[in-house]
Amino acid sequence: MIQQVRIEDKLYDVDIATSANGVTAALNGTHYSISQQGQGKFIVTVDGRKHAAACVIKDNKIYADVDGVLFDLTVPSIDMDIAGGADASVGVKDKIFAPMPGKVVKILVTVGQEVKAKQPMVIVEAMKMENQVNCAAEGIVKKINFKDGDQVDTETPIIELELAAELK
Amino acid sequence: MGQIDMADKLFDKILVANRGEIAVRVMNACRLLGIPTLAIYSTADANAVHRRFADESVEIGPPPPLQSYLSIDKIIKAAIENKCDAIHPGYGFLAENPLFPDACEKAGIVFIGPSGKSMRLMGNKVEARRKMVNAGVPLIPGMQGAGSDLKSFEEAAEKAGYPVLIKAAAGGGGKGMRIVHEKAMLKESVEAAMREAKNAFGDDTVYLEKYIENPRHVEFQVLADNHGNTIHLFERECSIQRRHQKIIEETPSVALTPDLRARMGEAAVKATQAANYRNAGTIEFLVDTKGGFYFLEMNTRVQVEHPVTEMVTGVDLVVEQIRIAAGQEISEGARHAVQRGHAIECRIYAEDAENNFLPSSGDILYYEEPSGPGIRVDSGVTGNTKIGTDYDPILSKLIVHAPDRNLAISKMIQALKDYKILGIKTSRKFMIDVLSHPEFRAGRTYTNFIEKNMAGRDDGRASLSPVAATAAAAALAQKPAAIAVGMKHIKPSPWQTIGNWEIGMRCAR
Repeated sequence: MIQQVRIEDKLYDVDIATSANGVTAALNGTHYSISQQGQGKFIVTVDGRKHAAACVIKDNKIYADVDGVLFDLTVPSIDMDIAGGADASVGVKDKIFAPMPGKVVKILVTVGQEVKAKQPMVIVEAMKMENQVNCAAEGIVKKINFKDGDQVDTETPIIELELAAELK
Repeated sequence: MGQIDMADKLFDKILVANRGEIAVRVMNACRLLGIPTLAIYSTADANAVHRRFADESVEIGPPPPLQSYLSIDKIIKAAIENKCDAIHPGYGFLAENPLFPDACEKAGIVFIGPSGKSMRLMGNKVEARRKMVNAGVPLIPGMQGAGSDLKSFEEAAEKAGYPVLIKAAAGGGGKGMRIVHEKAMLKESVEAAMREAKNAFGDDTVYLEKYIENPRHVEFQVLADNHGNTIHLFERECSIQRRHQKIIEETPSVALTPDLRARMGEAAVKATQAANYRNAGTIEFLVDTKGGFYFLEMNTRVQVEHPVTEMVTGVDLVVEQIRIAAGQEISEGARHAVQRGHAIECRIYAEDAENNFLPSSGDILYYEEPSGPGIRVDSGVTGNTKIGTDYDPILSKLIVHAPDRNLAISKMIQALKDYKILGIKTSRKFMIDVLSHPEFRAGRTYTNFIEKNMAGRDDGRASLSPVAATAAAAALAQKPAAIAVGMKHIKPSPWQTIGNWEIGMRCAR
């Protein structure tokens, strides 16, 4: 099972496998063996080195500690629901809005690019939390109205699309 | 629980005039002695661990310390109303305010600590220096008293030799402190130190002394009772400091030979006797690179770093404090204590090491302490604690004990990695980096260690990001209700919506 997580603007596709012998993960060709020590507590072994990790999930964010180093992670599939992305935006599939007033952290597409449903389009920061807004339908990016660092409201679309259905 | 016979009980009930980890620590000693405890708490601490840990508790006011933990009147009133016959002040807050023991005495309550008179004497650094000179305790060359005019500062600086240090008489925590390298900068620095001292302490008295380069901070634990016994329980080296505050302490100090230790211990006992001091205290020294040592000041309280002494000597210092206050002798065990093995303490502050150690506030979402042989955690928090900005950001102290220094360092590094606190920032990684540094391993621990060795260190984020990603993915793959606090997209079960909880209380070790 591929589980996607994000640290800052970097996406990690972690291939998680659970068997009778425990949990293993593969990431970019590297093998990780994961041993659960308690609720949200793991020992992750990679290249013969053991790392003490703990995770807690709160408000669509995963807080993780690895050997005393703290990480905030987000999950694209969780972002989608609060972002009102895919399913919530029926009727305005050709326009990508910010879920809440906030700041554009990163535009992930360029004008003219072909995009698919559920593809990440933009990361918006609001209430000190980053939210990834995904594409609702297949199409081509027609117009981008903001750039990284801009403040956005929920009224003006950040990205406008030419939907594949209309192109045909 | 092994209840002690009432006739042997040292006090009826002890009010612990503090909060957080030290309040819990003091209450543990009281439990050991079979003495009930009363916690005081501000409205900000209604759900705090120290309140829940005590036998009884009483609210004493709103969050600002002046209206709660620093209000002598309210605390004395609480003690009287709740039939407490002794008060333990912990450290910080009122612990070194002589008006507090004075008020206790007036109310007929035993103050577990020194007299107000001893506190006044040692609290004024100029007065304390004078007393130490007479007792033959070595001092850093410099002024014997406060400087009256620029000329007196200039003369003292010439005599001691540059660089010199300007310090506030009522000071502490680095406030009102200035290093001066040449005569041309003296006037400006004295004036600046005076302004800072005035703002910080309401007293602009400053004095001058020789600045010791590459010093170590080595202090001696002392105990004195009312039966003529004054002893020391060896040293603690506290050279690892950031912003003039200690963060890592250890004992024994690698800088002390048996001969130097004996001479410093003797000086510490002399200093304690000269101050006519009773109860537990600490004599702070600077040790230079040539083995010279100089009296810095006396701390008239139990220190944050007292556990390292307890680990190597086996003496419970708070128990000794309570016994001494009750009129008993220092215990036989303490009087014959020896140093066994090596102990290190790391202070766990809610702070951001990547951002100039600014305090970090928020909710602790996950909390798990390390455990194992020779690992001790003195904590004032649990997995369900809100860390506000009203008080000192210390959360807990992690202490390890091992047969030798190398093993103690390794044990501490592992314990810091295993200590899990999520939701707020702590400087665990920073301390791991200090302990892992070759200079620390080599024992070259001078007070400038952090400025000298920690700049440009690797924060570990790049190398550990993939590990964090796999751990998070593993957590998500399981989605146990207990870690999925507030996941909005999952239809919540009652187990998710009740939030963080725990069964019963954390038990005392």
